[in-house]
Amino acid sequence: MSIMAYNGGACIVMTGKNCVAIASDLRFGIQQQTISNNFPKVYRINDKCFVGISGLVTDAQTLYQKIVFRHNLYKLREERDMSPSVVTNLIANMLYEKRFGPYFTEPLICGLEGPDNKPFISGMDLIGAMVATNDFLVVGTMTPAMYGVCETLYKPNMEKDELFETISQCMLSSLERDALSGWGAVVHIITPEEVVTKKLLGRQD
Amino acid sequence: MESPEWMNNAVDLGTSIMAVEFDGGVVMGADSRTTTGAYIANRVTNKITPIHEKIYCCRSGSAADTQAISDYVRYYLEMHTSELCDDPDVKTAASLFQLLCYSNKNNLMAGIIVAGWDKHQGGSVYNISLGGSMVKQPFAIGGSGSTYIYGYCDSKFKPNMTKDECVEFVQNSLALAMFRDGSSGGVIRLCIIDKNGVERRMIPGNKLPRFWEG
Amino acid sequence: MEELNRGGFTFDLCSRNTLLEKTGLKMPGFLKTGTTIVGVVYKDGVVLGADTRATEGPIVADKNCEKIHYIADNIYCCGAGTAADTEMTTALISSKLKLHKLSTGKEPRVVTALTMLKQMLFKYQGHVSAALILGGIDINGPSLHTIYPHGSTDQLPYVTMGSGSLAAMAVFEAKYKTDMTRDEAIQLVAEAISSGVFNDLGSGSNVDVTVIAKEGVTVLRNYLTPNERKFRGPEYIFPIGTTPVLSKLVAPLSSKVIIEDVVMS
Repeated sequence: MSIMAYNGGACIVMTGKNCVAIASDLRFGIQQQTISNNFPKVYRINDKCFVGISGLVTDAQTLYQKIVFRHNLYKLREERDMSPSVVTNLIANMLYEKRFGPYFTEPLICGLEGPDNKPFISGMDLIGAMVATNDFLVVGTMTPAMYGVCETLYKPNMEKDELFETISQCMLSSLERDALSGWGAVVHIITPEEVVTKKLLGRQD
Repeated sequence: MESPEWMNNAVDLGTSIMAVEFDGGVVMGADSRTTTGAYIANRVTNKITPIHEKIYCCRSGSAADTQAISDYVRYYLEMHTSELCDDPDVKTAASLFQLLCYSNKNNLMAGIIVAGWDKHQGGSVYNISLGGSMVKQPFAIGGSGSTYIYGYCDSKFKPNMTKDECVEFVQNSLALAMFRDGSSGGVIRLCIIDKNGVERRMIPGNKLPRFWEG
Repeated sequence: MEELNRGGFTFDLCSRNTLLEKTGLKMPGFLKTGTTIVGVVYKDGVVLGADTRATEGPIVADKNCEKIHYIADNIYCCGAGTAADTEMTTALISSKLKLHKLSTGKEPRVVTALTMLKQMLFKYQGHVSAALILGGIDINGPSLHTIYPHGSTDQLPYVTMGSGSLAAMAVFEAKYKTDMTRDEAIQLVAEAISSGVFNDLGSGSNVDVTVIAKEGVTVLRNYLTPNERKFRGPEYIFPIGTTPVLSKLVAPLSSKVIIEDVVMS
């Protein structure tokens, strides 16, 4: 078994029209044994930037704490929030510093960029190789299923409600075939006006 | 997915190189093939690298290691020259190579032939082998292809050849080595150094000597 | 508190990771750029080319990534190998070269970038797996180099690298001419990359081309797009409310929260 699948977990980010969405499952386990069924992998950095971290949970939590620490320092110095692209570069550099002894985490970053709130998503591998697209990104266990279902269901310029339905269906469909993730999901829709968080009903087995 | 060959294999100079003293100078020669595994990464490589005006070296072994060593020696020798206010001896260059090869022998894959002309010894050839020993020789051969031509070189070499005799000797020896050794090939590169300076020649792959073929 | 911005690699997780590995857990692979990258010197410049596929094992992780990296205004670099290594190595050398330029006040030379790159890669003894094609133009005219992960370099008029290098080199060996025109060179590079895209599984999607000439650089991102998505059938539309929602929370934006001082009486 891969270390990346030790705790299970899956994460998707998706762009819409003036909005982005990020979803994660709720399971936290140790190999086959489920420890918790209310464990979201999405972390809020600020109003316009969320990070989803899949992989080994101990590393995900450490990484999250380090991101928050650096974000707080940034806010003290600059008196503003980090934009998602800055967060991406920050995390990429933090991960690459540990190139030869990495954190076993794959982060996804999503948010709204700049004064005109341009949707932004990005992801990276465990040593900080950035992947920037403008449609969707997935990480976690069962990425093959998630890629497939996202390729089919995604379409550009979705409104926020449509985006919610699409990302939710993508998440729930791929969770159907993932033993290591599941127990429902959580979805955040980030718009310039508000952040809506919804918990989804999923399989409980 | 299996990672490709060029990621795992170090770039290797599976090589035929040689250097020979003649009356008044040295002739250096090398094939031009660089391989990564079975793939020829460069078919026109220059394995005869300048170290100083009249001191060159032939490189065999790992391309990365020998390039790094040559860069260091070139730098050290330049510093030495500016202190000396005169051209350095070939022996000095060879000693620098030996120093690096010997003290880092556990981390290096480098067989180097240093040759050139200086005013004290005239043309001279030094062989620095894998373990970092330095031997002055009237002629030196090296690289994987050299194993095929030890006997030929021993029988055909004679001291104090003329320049033309020497060039022919180097060409013939290398052609034989390249013919038998799979990881040597391409063109023959030559470097003739005497007190007047350096002359570089190239013999294309279709013009190599084939005197042994009846 | 940890020291910030100290630079360089840290190895504090290495011992933990080897312990984890000993328990039988498999180490994950890194993001790779399977890659076909090429370069050609033409009459008065250099043309670099790359495909745009990034893979993680058998999965295409990025269908349209950029593999031609900026080093300086007159120097660009194609990267193959571990994606993070090529990205970070070229970025590091780019910034070092910028500082060098600022302190010397001269246009950076291709060999300066080359030496910086080879010395860095040699230092890491092949563990930083970046295979690079460095192309640029300086006072010595156009030049093109390859740099292998262990730190060895070559200079050639036409080069290929990556898993698709054999397919691309076949095209070059058949069709390369000396002193080509700009258009001929672009055409040849595009053909070599296409050969990699269609014959090598590690390479795919689009063809990126960058032309470096004395007059300036032309970045032809997605010069060819031979693999555009053809089919996306009738759209799947989920009516609003399809997905069962357990709870909904609308978090107020912190910028819209009004903080008032309440005077204690």
